[in-house]
Amino acid sequence: MPIYLDHNATTPLAPEVLEAMLPYLHGPYANASSLHRLGRASRDAIEAARAEVADLLGAQASQVIWTSGGTEANNLAIKGVMHQGGRLLYGATEHPAVMECAESLMAVPRTVVESIPVTAGGLIALDRLHAQLAQAPVTLVSVMAANNETGVIQDVAAIGRAVHEIPDALFHVDAVQAAGKLPVDVRQMGADLLTVSSHKLYGPKGVGALLRTAPVDLWPLHHGGAQEGGLRGGTENVAAIVGFGVAARLAQARLADRVAHLQALRDRLEAGLAAIPGLIRFAADSPRLPNTVQMALPGWAGETLLMALDRQGFCVSSGSACAIGHGAPSHVLVAMGVPDAVAIGAIRISLGAENTAEHVDRLLIALTALAQQGVRG
Amino acid sequence: MTADWIALDHAATTPLAPGVFEAMRPWLDNAVGNPASDHRAGRAARAAVEAARAAVARLVGAPADSLIWTSGATESINLAIKGALEFDGRAPAHVISSRIEHRATLDTLRWVAGQGHKVSLLSPDARGTISIEAVLAALTPATRLVSLMWVNNELGTCTDMPALAAALRARGVLLHVDAAQAAGWLPIDLETMPIDLLSLSAHKLGGPKGIGALYVCRRPRVRLSPLLHGGGQEQGMRSGTLATHQIVGFGAAATRRMAQREALAADVLRLRDQLAAQLQAGIPDLLRNSPVSGSPHILNVSVPGVDGESLRASLPDLLFSSGSACSSATREPSFVLRALGHDDPLADASLRLSLGEGSCDAEVQAGAAQIIAAATRLRDFAAGLPPPAVTGLDNLYGYSPAVWQRFCAADAVGSLAGEGVHAAKATSRADGAWLEIGVQITQERVVAARYRGVGCPVTLAAGQWFAEQITGADVSTLQRPWLLDVRNALEIAPEKSHCAVMVDDLARALWSTPP
Repeated sequence: MPIYLDHNATTPLAPEVLEAMLPYLHGPYANASSLHRLGRASRDAIEAARAEVADLLGAQASQVIWTSGGTEANNLAIKGVMHQGGRLLYGATEHPAVMECAESLMAVPRTVVESIPVTAGGLIALDRLHAQLAQAPVTLVSVMAANNETGVIQDVAAIGRAVHEIPDALFHVDAVQAAGKLPVDVRQMGADLLTVSSHKLYGPKGVGALLRTAPVDLWPLHHGGAQEGGLRGGTENVAAIVGFGVAARLAQARLADRVAHLQALRDRLEAGLAAIPGLIRFAADSPRLPNTVQMALPGWAGETLLMALDRQGFCVSSGSACAIGHGAPSHVLVAMGVPDAVAIGAIRISLGAENTAEHVDRLLIALTALAQQGVRG
Repeated sequence: MTADWIALDHAATTPLAPGVFEAMRPWLDNAVGNPASDHRAGRAARAAVEAARAAVARLVGAPADSLIWTSGATESINLAIKGALEFDGRAPAHVISSRIEHRATLDTLRWVAGQGHKVSLLSPDARGTISIEAVLAALTPATRLVSLMWVNNELGTCTDMPALAAALRARGVLLHVDAAQAAGWLPIDLETMPIDLLSLSAHKLGGPKGIGALYVCRRPRVRLSPLLHGGGQEQGMRSGTLATHQIVGFGAAATRRMAQREALAADVLRLRDQLAAQLQAGIPDLLRNSPVSGSPHILNVSVPGVDGESLRASLPDLLFSSGSACSSATREPSFVLRALGHDDPLADASLRLSLGEGSCDAEVQAGAAQIIAAATRLRDFAAGLPPPAVTGLDNLYGYSPAVWQRFCAADAVGSLAGEGVHAAKATSRADGAWLEIGVQITQERVVAARYRGVGCPVTLAAGQWFAEQITGADVSTLQRPWLLDVRNALEIAPEKSHCAVMVDDLARALWSTPP
């Protein structure tokens, strides 16, 4: 069995989640928009899940819009708000689902898109944000609660307060990595829109949600059908939605335990890493998710190191699990001012609920040996 | 399936076909890995995703690398239409489609029209089909895209896609085909059919919900602007983490259907014809909206002279659609049936019955028997013949007990004739409902009251209640207003009170009619 240390890419299903999904996969079936009895049973299950996801995020059920995942939710938030043009600010270390989406709007008439610089520690440069906010009217600000690569946690509440000093400016928070690993309260964050994904918190892939807490005039991405108040057409993915609901409930109930478990493992990991000469840890002094370490070994390119670890049965990542950017230095590290030559060596270790101290110790042994090879090579 | 329902709704969604869940299970149980990840867990997921892509591609005769995974046919349709129009700038273009498309297409085209494109929606002919001639006649030099469904989801009518595709390719116009209802039923060979874009859905052919695909022709290359930007998955045309288990389920369903398509289509065609014959025998004036030559799995019928809501309420154990499932969320009469020339009440009294893998003779016979019994009983209400009381009918739509009990056992239905009988009729123009009442008046007392009518359960129950109330009462009671009383007595919600207002009209008409 490989040791899976890539939980920021995706997580295994919690057994309780699978259990809850089974009746909707191979039991009674129905199209949730149908009026007949099974359609109604599906609808009830979808609404129960909506309340569970809302609870995890301090929101109301009516504020949850189901999507096919975090990418769609981010696209819906950004394109849905920016349909009439305007000025969009986004963090320089955002996930590609925000960054690429924002950049796709650059060609749109009457639309201005600017990134917000981050500090060397990966935190949004608040003074720069204030200056950008003061410079010209702002339509939307999009910032992630926690970074998928470095794990850096933004002071979202402070950013939200700054945004809301500007009349009519809206605030979108990508909480895909934060949900389930940190307490997330959409009110405290001051978020008008918030993205969450199921498969990052032990739920199924193929479902996510956008929370809309303010009367934001969103334009749909997927037209067709009256599902989700006309904001998102398409037959509901009932089984996945039910699984997401259970995963959200578990994430809330187990948050403190999970955080304690992950924190202990990561402290053990970092203590071990500190003993490896020359090893670099990125954003080490910033507030970070309890499960994430991004690092580089001298003499190793990230992708080569990933493959070497893979051969030994460790699943880690060289960045975000996406199809783009292979071989290029991480845009997150570049934005933090890390030189390309160093950034290219980055790998990400992201721990999860099923990891153990033994997993960490075995990884440390492997990394220590590879570090020596790297130095020799 | 030992079910307490009869499934005649396979065109809305199908159960997972045998073997599909088993194929998905390993990807739910213990497999972890993002198909975009480079480690062994990611590679294993990626291999499964690619095997499924090949399986779905085989079902439609396409090269595997021409399929893009989406969250379902709605997303595929949105991506095809908006993506094709938005690629290479936003110059206004002309798009041709039809009035009988799925809402995913119609809503997308409405949005596209708002973006400055010109959209022409063709009307179907009297049989509900879109002819090639009509499409070609609508072409203009600015036409960039034609988007049509292969098999109509409500009627099962088919468009001759191979011929249309060839005609449009020759004219350099892009063709997007919504094949959500066609795939798995009709032979589709994209290697030989010059179709540019084709939308597919898994859950219409035994696969899971939440997964679909868009075929994007590679030779000649069709270019699309993505709908979802992000990690660059699916050749940059559709970002987002791929849902491995759902994709594997789609692949397994496609493989199974590929092997048994012809046999299944023949079997389902036989069942559909049997269903139609049985219904027509039991309801001689039944209107068959689906052509004999349509897709084998869909039979759409209308029951004249029957209220659609009462018909649905009478059939709680039957899974079917009234219109497409997507429009049932909004309760508008089907636009497809209106396009055929049906008025709203007739369109509302229509049933889309659809078959699929697992459908059987017993199910079809029992389903037809239920529909015939329900239609016959509702026609008793209209004819003034005492309708048989029904017991144990599930009150699926949550009518108040006072309404439901009177709908199930209506002992005041009838008509009176002879000396001293006064009659009155009230109609509701909006939904075609009506109530007629006859009262026998002796010495200023109502000694008997009988009613008949057509309408929703609330309307029919209001007629029954009114007859109960006035029987034995002094004639003068007819002059007071009744609406508040009927609303309170039958616990009618404000939004349904228009269904009972005819009681007021009847009382007023009776009072003002001289003896």
